[in-house]
Amino acid sequence: MDLGPLLPAVLLTLGILGVIVTDLLGRGRRPAVPVTLALAALAAAAVAALGIPTGDGLVLGVLRADAFGVVFAVFCCGVGFVSILATLRGEALRTPGGEFLTLVLSAVLGMVMLAMSADLVMLYLAFELVSIPSYVLVGMRRADPRANEASLKYVLFGAVSSGAMLYGLSWIVGLCGTTSLDGLGAALANGAASEPAFVVASVLVFAGFAFKISAVPFHFWAPDVYAGAPAAVAGFLAVASKAAGFAGLVRVVAATLPSVPALGDPLGGLLPEGGPLIRAMAVGALLTMTFGNLGALRQREIKRLLAWSSIAHAGYLLLALCVWSPDAMAALVLYLVAYLFMNLAAFLIAGIVIRELGTGDLAALGGLGRRHPGLGLALAVVLFSLTGLPPFFGFVAKYSVFYAVLAKGYVWLAVIGLVNGVISLYYYARVLSFLYLAEPAEERTLRLGWPDRGLLAALVLPVVVFGVAFWGDLLEWARRVGPAVFGGG
Amino acid sequence: MLSLLVFTPIAGLLACWVLPARHARAINLVTCAAALVLSVVVWQRMDAAALGSLANPLAERAAWIPPVGIEYYLAIDGVSLALVLLTTFVAFVSAIASWRVEKLERGYHMMFLLLLTGMLGVFLAEDLFLFYIFWEVMLLPMYFLIGIWGGPRRQYAAIKFFLYTLAGSVLLLAAIILVVLKNPGEGGRLVWAIDHYTALAASGHALLESGLAGLAFVFMFIGFAIKVPCWPFHTWLPDAHVEAPTPISMILAGVLLKMGGYGLIRIAYPFFPATAMDLSTWVAAISVIAIVYGAFVAMGQTDFKRLIAYSSVSHMGFVTLGLASGTDEGLNGAMYMMLAHGTISAMLFMVVGVIYDRAHHRDLDRFGGLAWTMPRYAMFGSFAFFASLGLPGMSGFIAEFTTFLGAFAGVDRWAAFVALLGVVLTAAYYLITLQKVYLGDTPAVYKDPKHYPDLTAREVAVLAPLALVTLYMGLVPSTAMDLYMDVARGLTRTLAQAASGFPGLGLG
Repeated sequence: MDLGPLLPAVLLTLGILGVIVTDLLGRGRRPAVPVTLALAALAAAAVAALGIPTGDGLVLGVLRADAFGVVFAVFCCGVGFVSILATLRGEALRTPGGEFLTLVLSAVLGMVMLAMSADLVMLYLAFELVSIPSYVLVGMRRADPRANEASLKYVLFGAVSSGAMLYGLSWIVGLCGTTSLDGLGAALANGAASEPAFVVASVLVFAGFAFKISAVPFHFWAPDVYAGAPAAVAGFLAVASKAAGFAGLVRVVAATLPSVPALGDPLGGLLPEGGPLIRAMAVGALLTMTFGNLGALRQREIKRLLAWSSIAHAGYLLLALCVWSPDAMAALVLYLVAYLFMNLAAFLIAGIVIRELGTGDLAALGGLGRRHPGLGLALAVVLFSLTGLPPFFGFVAKYSVFYAVLAKGYVWLAVIGLVNGVISLYYYARVLSFLYLAEPAEERTLRLGWPDRGLLAALVLPVVVFGVAFWGDLLEWARRVGPAVFGGG
Repeated sequence: MLSLLVFTPIAGLLACWVLPARHARAINLVTCAAALVLSVVVWQRMDAAALGSLANPLAERAAWIPPVGIEYYLAIDGVSLALVLLTTFVAFVSAIASWRVEKLERGYHMMFLLLLTGMLGVFLAEDLFLFYIFWEVMLLPMYFLIGIWGGPRRQYAAIKFFLYTLAGSVLLLAAIILVVLKNPGEGGRLVWAIDHYTALAASGHALLESGLAGLAFVFMFIGFAIKVPCWPFHTWLPDAHVEAPTPISMILAGVLLKMGGYGLIRIAYPFFPATAMDLSTWVAAISVIAIVYGAFVAMGQTDFKRLIAYSSVSHMGFVTLGLASGTDEGLNGAMYMMLAHGTISAMLFMVVGVIYDRAHHRDLDRFGGLAWTMPRYAMFGSFAFFASLGLPGMSGFIAEFTTFLGAFAGVDRWAAFVALLGVVLTAAYYLITLQKVYLGDTPAVYKDPKHYPDLTAREVAVLAPLALVTLYMGLVPSTAMDLYMDVARGLTRTLAQAASGFPGLGLG
């Protein structure tokens, strides 16, 4: 048995232990040591993941280190890395304590396992390993009642949907008699899929994932949680946690889909062909995009606005998923990479603004664009990119998704998605209108250190660079995940 | 050469950024002059063959994003050239008109130059993807130019403009992707070159099966119609025009509106000739509604600038009317109307801007007798009015005349009769306005030469070149027509073949 594919997980675990030990020994006097250690562990795990010889073989019977798993492992490590850096410069402007680092590393460990899991029990364990540290991360600022409320909400919603998912999984296991995803496919092909119970189970499982990726109607927690959590943590949840949720969802769909018979077509081609999971995802995509964007229209606080916008983006990602083609899978990966840069940059800026102004109210942004041309430009680029306007990375990502949707012939699905893009422009442009067009309420200057600028530049530059060039190569790279999911590679 | 033309404004933009803000306006002017000179050089390098086809030595083509077949492909033919010349010319005079911008000078001129790159890129890009990128790039500076430097309701106008245009362009994007997807080149490679599809469609090959073709054409048409703007997609225009600062109104009316017409002539009609001809009655109908409705609404305005804005809606109706006819004369009229309206509307907005700078209001009922106190201003103003209402000897007349020729030759002759009503109405509202502003008694306020001086040298420098071109285009129409007629005839041939030869789509 080759344990090489476990190396990233081992490194992350070592990192967790190292952080706990150095934090205890240093008694908080030298906070830089655990931080460095955590960053090093994430970087090493990412490098190790890239070095894994990808193959179809199982590790310990429950993990599969194929190209898909590796891509998501690297992705989540990257987000963890940036989130820790962003916390250093976020609202509180303080070095995060050992517990924070431990929680982030544990969550990333869970994400890596989730992306690689090939067994339902493993999948559920990894899912919880992501969730539980997230609950605590949200409530890290114990003195802030909003953070407490957010944390409690997150736990309650999380527990309910996680329970629903576990219940659904138990039905599936009962139907199929196995927990292995490979075995599941075989059992479903032998007739288990035609049981009505399977539809119920599919919907229950989707509900669990829908919570993780904040899809409508399991999205209610997101605005409160993002607003209550520190901006860097909100960014971490919005990007890494969501990506991990998608990775798990892809694993389940890939295992069950080929053997599930397609449902009838009551809506005349509006929804993609496929089984109950695909249908649930398509309906979820349409609802999530639409309600996410409509919800964002009314927001007056930057973190809440970004929360609603991230709900809407979950809708676009679901759209790519429900099409279920190799093109769409590549688009999903590309979209997530673009989303990483755009969204983390947006939350970083939100964190800096809240740190300096003490409020995330949009009206407080008045005239900021003129006093801080650099910050204003960065935010403008990020928001236009989130809208999906060229020549930014967000456009390339949206283009890939809609390309995949149209390639399968779902014209109306694409049109609804594109119209949603127009709605989203309204609230993104409204932020900009506060930034540039509104007269400032009071003259306030932000103190921006070079680490702020450096980190921001590192996140915003790719948004521009990949929007103009090199995205062809990135797309080629993203296409490599296709065979891992669809077979034939 | 073409890349140089497109990216000269970017060089100017960088110079504005690096050098002190007080030089920004000079850099803008010099850059616009350089672009104008470059476009004239391009013109000189093009012979008759080059005017008729995109495949000429000036084309620049390189792989850009190879995995998906997207190319960096700039090319020029007569239609592009005519509009590029219009763009650089209007941009140059607008740069003169921008001399007195005081608020955030550096930012203004940088946005202005970015806008210029976007506009030139749209007219020169021959790769659908590149075209779409430039199409959107132009949107961003326009949003800020209206939103920051505009009038009192600028935020509302900027967002409305932005949303409308984006709504149109996402439909355009969907249609473009559909076309590209369904027509892979050799070995399944995607092709994005516009001329590739034009040639395919001209050879009688339907780019999409009938139902999808109808959908794609309608999507494209709406996308471009919002820019034109056709009735009923025009409501963003009066707001955007009224709130935009004078030089930006000039560019908006002079160049931006032409992008819609250009898109129809370059992409929508050549790609789907059969669908276009099937739907020609509908297009003709919304054109005459635009012409007549625009004129009626213009007549009812008391705001000088709103009046000019609605007159644009009315005049752009002639562009789509000419196109709908599918005849040589109709296309000639459509193109000529775009060029003529480009210069005339720029002049009209400058005329409004001049008086607004002095009076700080645009209420037509409060003006009067300016001809006696500001004779030079009255001269240019009435010149612009007469040009716009189509007085023979000026470019507007040629444009309307050829459009009517085309419309009478086409299938929807009734449309031409209704549109004639629009011409009468246009004459009416311009003459009424002329009377209100320039003739009659001069209210006492306007008699003060200190606050109401006649045109300054700078203002004359803006208006005079526009007036000269208008006059020249009215007297020697062949210069401009020779530029684009070959391409236009090619398109008419395709349309005629499609109308007779290809199977209909049952949508008309």
